[in-house]
Amino acid sequence: MSNTPPAAGETGDRTGRYVRHPNGHVAPMSPFTDIWRWHMTMVASILFRVTIGAASVGAVLLLGWVAIVACGPDAFASVAAFSGSPFGLFIWFGLTWVLFSFLLNGARHLINDAGKGLDLKSANLMAQIAVWGPIVLAVLFWVVLFAAGKVSL
Amino acid sequence: MSAAPKFKNNVKISERHGAGEWKLEKLALLALMPLGLWVLSTGFTLAGADYGAVIAWFGSTLNAGLLAVTAVVFCLFASLAWKVIIEDYVPASSRSGLVLVSNLVFLVLAAASVFFIVRLALGSAPLPAGV
Repeated sequence: MSNTPPAAGETGDRTGRYVRHPNGHVAPMSPFTDIWRWHMTMVASILFRVTIGAASVGAVLLLGWVAIVACGPDAFASVAAFSGSPFGLFIWFGLTWVLFSFLLNGARHLINDAGKGLDLKSANLMAQIAVWGPIVLAVLFWVVLFAAGKVSL
Repeated sequence: MSAAPKFKNNVKISERHGAGEWKLEKLALLALMPLGLWVLSTGFTLAGADYGAVIAWFGSTLNAGLLAVTAVVFCLFASLAWKVIIEDYVPASSRSGLVLVSNLVFLVLAAASVFFIVRLALGSAPLPAGV
């Protein structure tokens, strides 16, 4: 690792930290997660990618559910028995968590993309909300569902 | 290949279609915010519902239309988001096939969603039809 900036003509990244790779290229040092101190904004950012992945799987599951509804009452009854079982409810709970995460973390992303809320205090606050909010809201959602008698174990 | 980079407010202007894709991804995500809230309220309505209630829900044109729009916009957003994720982790020389597969998956997902939703909205006979 060297701290000498790249040759004239190349543009720097303003960090002033450069690494000479085995092939001789001088490049800005990458923010490897194992040498950077973990921060809430990193957690929120990574979790949004995880959420998009989980939402893609969730979309396939929901498509399967719509397809089953389109297959008539018998098919629906057999799937309803599974989706009402403890494991089925566990999957539905996961999907509501993913949906809340998509909404809160997506809103954080949109606000930051608009160039707003990028100061340390707002960025930290929005990251905290985007990471912890979905868990709290998903649990509340299911507490209300059980309390309203819509689902039961 | 590229002319001298142009700047606006000290920010480099995208030379090709990168900025357009970025904007489209943000617009899709923005549209998914109210649609996601609606999906949440739908989940609350349909939790524990029996077959008749679910069929009646799909019978409403508003419900079926909003669900179809949600499915298509989500697939648009997800295909753009997965393209960005693939571009971050897969070298340029071997990523075009992966991006194509990801786009195809979400195209099929959107088409299948609309197919089933339209059938339910029209009250078509249960699948497999004609057996």
